Amino acid sequence: MKRYILGRILRAVLSICVVMSITIILIYTCIPRERILTKDPGLSKFTGDARTNYQYRIWRQAGYLDYLQPSDFCAVSEDPKTCAQGGADYEEIVADYVDRGYTYIEYKESDLGFVTRDYSVPELLINFFANLVNIDNPWYVQDAQNPDIERNYYITTGPNGLPAVACSGCQYKYQLYFDSNFPFIHQNAVKLEFGISYPTFDGLDTMDVINGGQGQLIMTEQTFPTGLTQSSALNQYTCQYKATSTIDHLDQNKFTDNYANCKSNYDAPSMVSTSYLFGIIALVIAYLISIPAGISMARHKDKWQDKIGIAYVNFMIAVPSLAFIYFVKWIGRFFGAPEKFPQLGFGDIRSYILPIIILALLSTSSVMIWMRRYMIDQSNSDYVKFARAKGLSEKEIFNKHILKNAIIPIVNGIPSSIILCISGSVITESVFSIPGMGKMLPDSITALNNKMVITLTFIFASLAIFALLCGDLLMTVVDPRIQLTARKGGKKKK
Amino acid sequence: MEENKKNIILSAKNVVVKFKVRDRELTAIRNVSFDFEEGKVVAIVGESGSGKSVFTKTFTGMLDINGRIESGEIWFEGNDISKYKTEKEWLTIRGKKIATVFQDPMTSLNPVRTIGYQISEVIIKHQGKSKEEAKKEAISLMERVGIYDAERRYDEYPFQYSGGMRQRIVIAIALACHPKILICDEPTTALDVTIQAQIIHLIKELSKEYGFTTIYITHDLGVVANVADVVAVMYAGQIIEYGSVEEIFYTPKHPYTWGLLSSLPQLGEKGHELFAIRGTPPSLFEEIKGDAFAPRSDYAMKIDFEEEPPFFEVSPTHFAKTWLLDPRAPKVEPPEVIHNLHEKMVAITSKGGIYGER
Repeated sequence: MKRYILGRILRAVLSICVVMSITIILIYTCIPRERILTKDPGLSKFTGDARTNYQYRIWRQAGYLDYLQPSDFCAVSEDPKTCAQGGADYEEIVADYVDRGYTYIEYKESDLGFVTRDYSVPELLINFFANLVNIDNPWYVQDAQNPDIERNYYITTGPNGLPAVACSGCQYKYQLYFDSNFPFIHQNAVKLEFGISYPTFDGLDTMDVINGGQGQLIMTEQTFPTGLTQSSALNQYTCQYKATSTIDHLDQNKFTDNYANCKSNYDAPSMVSTSYLFGIIALVIAYLISIPAGISMARHKDKWQDKIGIAYVNFMIAVPSLAFIYFVKWIGRFFGAPEKFPQLGFGDIRSYILPIIILALLSTSSVMIWMRRYMIDQSNSDYVKFARAKGLSEKEIFNKHILKNAIIPIVNGIPSSIILCISGSVITESVFSIPGMGKMLPDSITALNNKMVITLTFIFASLAIFALLCGDLLMTVVDPRIQLTARKGGKKKK
Repeated sequence: MEENKKNIILSAKNVVVKFKVRDRELTAIRNVSFDFEEGKVVAIVGESGSGKSVFTKTFTGMLDINGRIESGEIWFEGNDISKYKTEKEWLTIRGKKIATVFQDPMTSLNPVRTIGYQISEVIIKHQGKSKEEAKKEAISLMERVGIYDAERRYDEYPFQYSGGMRQRIVIAIALACHPKILICDEPTTALDVTIQAQIIHLIKELSKEYGFTTIYITHDLGVVANVADVVAVMYAGQIIEYGSVEEIFYTPKHPYTWGLLSSLPQLGEKGHELFAIRGTPPSLFEEIKGDAFAPRSDYAMKIDFEEEPPFFEVSPTHFAKTWLLDPRAPKVEPPEVIHNLHEKMVAITSKGGIYGER
């Protein structure tokens, strides 16, 4: 079992690497770097050399090339200040860079220039994978003004009174903590980094875009380490190290240490949570409807239950989902359901009813028809004939024999359905203006937000592979014939 | 037939079974009457499609959904079970009084339920025992049918059993409620020869022990010779000859029985082609006139194509449905190859095999 799972995980990691490599190569070789700037409204504010600098900064951030201004490459000089103005060993350093394959480009409005070099494909891949996993450690902080910072882990009581693992010297103060939000245990120790979103959600880390809270700040009464109690939106568990030079007296009022760079609490959940909330509730409803419906259709094959079911399935398949969404929305109007999600917002249950009904109904038809089909397939098998000859009633045969066999292929798909709820639903979320994940991938592609596309590809690919693994592991629980390890069986030698 | 009334457990009278196949009607069983004597082993033989299985399925109400008993009566324990319509009525008999063992043990058991569950389920259902009692009885049944280490194997799944062991389990399930009649629908066809003999012996032993009547459906005449007391030969939905096993093997009267016996592969000589009955059985969609076997028979007379023969009595236990037995018919001898069949078979199989072990 362990060996099997390990093997599967290794293969999963390998396939994710392959998928990511293909994605990265496609993006960086097929999208010319000039094109990503065309979507940027900020570019028109710059002219001349400032514009050139801005462009190269963006390209560097987007991962196309390496780019160094005089102030950057002169850092190695014995006299950085003179060097940055073109003096001292400026020429030698530039020549050194040119030797290493960089191009020296002179500014038009001054005598200085900058060096730049496009990344090759292997470098692009190395850059991605080398920076992907970021493990926080007590030697993370390198602050010249705070050289004596302690570097250790310790257990403490968090701001909400629950125990937490904290760290001094790490980027994040709280490495592991508990709170009342799903999944109740949280960590800051390992982070995935994909880069900075651009041009949409400019300047934000891509993971923060999909993971961060949305809506208005919520102010709560909080007590800070200094003992100060005030109404604040800060989430103290997210505090990061702040360099001593940037600590102001406001920070000092609240915090006793340098961990003062905190994120805020918002009243609306993140895009991922939003999509997930809708998806999971809809999924549960969909299975609650479609599995009994499919069973009933199979049991009463060719009777009215089956005919109604087939009519429903045909209707659901034939009607385009967009038409169905607007149809349900139109019916919803008579019951006072809101047209758009933001009208009543996250706090009101009425906002959820229509989208969840639609999402649930849209996925019922396929589960129903498969369930019916598996049940009917099974009911023609020999063991059912024998069960009948044993004198079991039809009801017993269905409940005790057919159902367990028929549900196995359905069970295999359940983890995928659950996990892939994260990706949200494009059409339903658009129609109801739900701030979820559904439109993120298509939007990022049209906006040429390369980093975001890479982030989403990574997340969806990993989740899909993980979901398949979960599905297969679940099969071993429901189907005794499937075993991941050779179990001792057969006749015992006497 | 009239003399055998003493201990009749199940009696079929003039049974006609029809199937609706798309918009046509097929007559699978054409006016069959037969009495099953208590405690005897009856073998029904015939080629594929002759209606062997369909005939016995009418005893448990397990005809396919498009089939029905058109007319006739089936008397069992004072009830005409051919009139049973509802599942509730059938459940008083099926499994409880008349059990069936099917051909393929590999697929007869539910693959995702334990062996133990599948046996004790029947005991709980028909004998109303508690789970623990049922388990105890199931384990003793498993031991009785020859499963070693039954206690441990109780919780195993069918895929952990071999074909022969699965058939043993199927038999154990069939016996779980002490049926009066056990129908074995080609119980050994899917098993290899060594296991066949074991299973046949097992059924034979158990029938003595439990005192049930066995109905074998088979086209393996070796099995028939080995186990049967009475043999009924079926052709095109009718029983055309029946009698004790000795009578059928030594003094067969119907040309079809002759053909069937001549086709025994054991009788083939090296270098010669095996004997086969020429032609194919008649279509059951059309009404059959005269003797159904006539078109394929070397002994057919004019009357065979015109009028259906009645049963002629050969001995008080042996009847055959052929005009050849009419006093007016010319005297014909059965084919040379099946003369002294018993001696030949014993000679051939003296080195081994299941024939001749009787």
